Amino acid sequence: MLKISVWLLFVSIFLVSPFIGVVDLDMAKILHSGSLSQTIFFDLRLPRVLFAFSAGAILALSGLLFQTLFRNPMMTPYTLGISSGAVLGAGIAIKLGLATLFFGVASVSVFGFLGAFLTVVLLMYLSQFLHSAYNTSLLLLGIALSLFYTSALMIVFYLGSSIQNDMLIRFTMGSLSIIGWGNPILLAGVALFLLGSSLIYRYELQLMSISDESARLKGVNTKKTTMLLLLLASLAIGILVSISGPIGFVGLIVPHMVYKLYPQSVEKRISKTALFGGLFLVFCDTLTRAIQTQSELPIGIMTALIGGPFFIYLIVKGSEK
Amino acid sequence: MINLKNVSFTYKKENILQDISLNIESHVSILGENGSGKSTFAKLLCGLQSYEGKISIEAENIEQLSLLDLAKTIAYVPAQLEIYDDSMSVENFVLLGRFAYKDRFFAYSKEDKEKTKEVLELLHLEYLSHLSMNSLSSGQMQLVLIAQALTQESKIIIFDEPTANLDPKNSKIIGKYIKQLKKKCQVILITHDLHLAKFIDSPVLFVKNKKISFQKDFFNPATLRVLYGVAFDDLVVAYA
Repeated sequence: MLKISVWLLFVSIFLVSPFIGVVDLDMAKILHSGSLSQTIFFDLRLPRVLFAFSAGAILALSGLLFQTLFRNPMMTPYTLGISSGAVLGAGIAIKLGLATLFFGVASVSVFGFLGAFLTVVLLMYLSQFLHSAYNTSLLLLGIALSLFYTSALMIVFYLGSSIQNDMLIRFTMGSLSIIGWGNPILLAGVALFLLGSSLIYRYELQLMSISDESARLKGVNTKKTTMLLLLLASLAIGILVSISGPIGFVGLIVPHMVYKLYPQSVEKRISKTALFGGLFLVFCDTLTRAIQTQSELPIGIMTALIGGPFFIYLIVKGSEK
Repeated sequence: MINLKNVSFTYKKENILQDISLNIESHVSILGENGSGKSTFAKLLCGLQSYEGKISIEAENIEQLSLLDLAKTIAYVPAQLEIYDDSMSVENFVLLGRFAYKDRFFAYSKEDKEKTKEVLELLHLEYLSHLSMNSLSSGQMQLVLIAQALTQESKIIIFDEPTANLDPKNSKIIGKYIKQLKKKCQVILITHDLHLAKFIDSPVLFVKNKKISFQKDFFNPATLRVLYGVAFDDLVVAYA
């Protein structure tokens, strides 16, 4: 019953999402070419729904991958400092006043992506030196990196002008506002690629959800599988964060929510997690647009406001028995 | 046949096993004090640790085998297993023994599932099929771990202290199954349990002072006293 109501709610919000926003659309004019309603609907609202859906799918899926590969419920690209790396990269671009484009891509995005990418490379390099309690050590490493990045970002703030800092604060709060179809299509492609790769490796993931040693003994090249999937998930997150800024919480809780609703082996939860993540973020995004404030609420605030209580409810309900 | 040639293993600069050359032709039981390197030895055979020297199984260097081929050659049954994914059911877990036989991109085949069912029936575990792995008792867990090793259909099975967490009744059941398995594949038993080792009745390899060697007349109180360095003759009289 809970399952059906949750899906029903998410899907119906998904369907009405493009019709909701600060500007009320004139339904009759949506199909009239050249009308304002049509421009808003087709160039702002629809691409935004696709963007939010793909972003949610990437966040949830990479959360599931990280949690499974490291067998640690806390592990996400966020807890490992990968998104902090992106934020620092973007911050440096803003501080340097790089308003230019690299091959048609905003330099803030390029720097953001580089920040995420370099963090992944650094983590992979450092993880060679970890021997005992590999997972916990890596988590600690990620937390240390995050804190380091935050301090570095503070220096950027300290040196920045008020206009630059305003841009930076907005970036760190995360936003799904985009114009046109370029970014949404890029992100949808990334999401599909990540989903496809995860599905190809679903049986390896199933074995690795037991233990690393167990998987190896059954014939899984655990090192290769881990590296490959981590790299793909991290790159996807890098691309996402470089465009939207960090959107926390989704990667951490959506995999757990899906698990609570569907207590099944991990290979059966991959597609569900991606779908649920996508719908969840569209749901949260629709609410930020529906609630009329001075300006839109940052999406990160909404994901935590909605996700937090629901997550707590599921945990409490799950341990009732 | 397993052949070791000048095998050494070092962990954190400490020599655990040193320059071991050995032929293991058939079933063996491996005994030795805590920390002597029995489990390490098992892990070397399974390719879980890197080492110096050369280990071959049926004249094939195990370092040259693919991980999938190695899984078809040798299976490892631990004493216990903690599973991260709580939702893993017994049936699913046992099925995973078939990984090495599965087509890369496809789901487990009907034959794999039938094989799983067969093994579960053989060990009388059907009633556990749908339970979560993490809800099993130690005795049930050990049986399920054996079931998974059986679906793996490897030539060699290593049991790493199978009775370590079991009560006498379950130890007896497990012992019986292991003894039966000697007819099907090469059984390598690592244990501290003298009862079990005596019952399984394979030649004994003893690990001591970084060396591994065959012990003739192992269950003789005098031999035991020399090997373990303590007198527990009264306990062993029954086996002698």
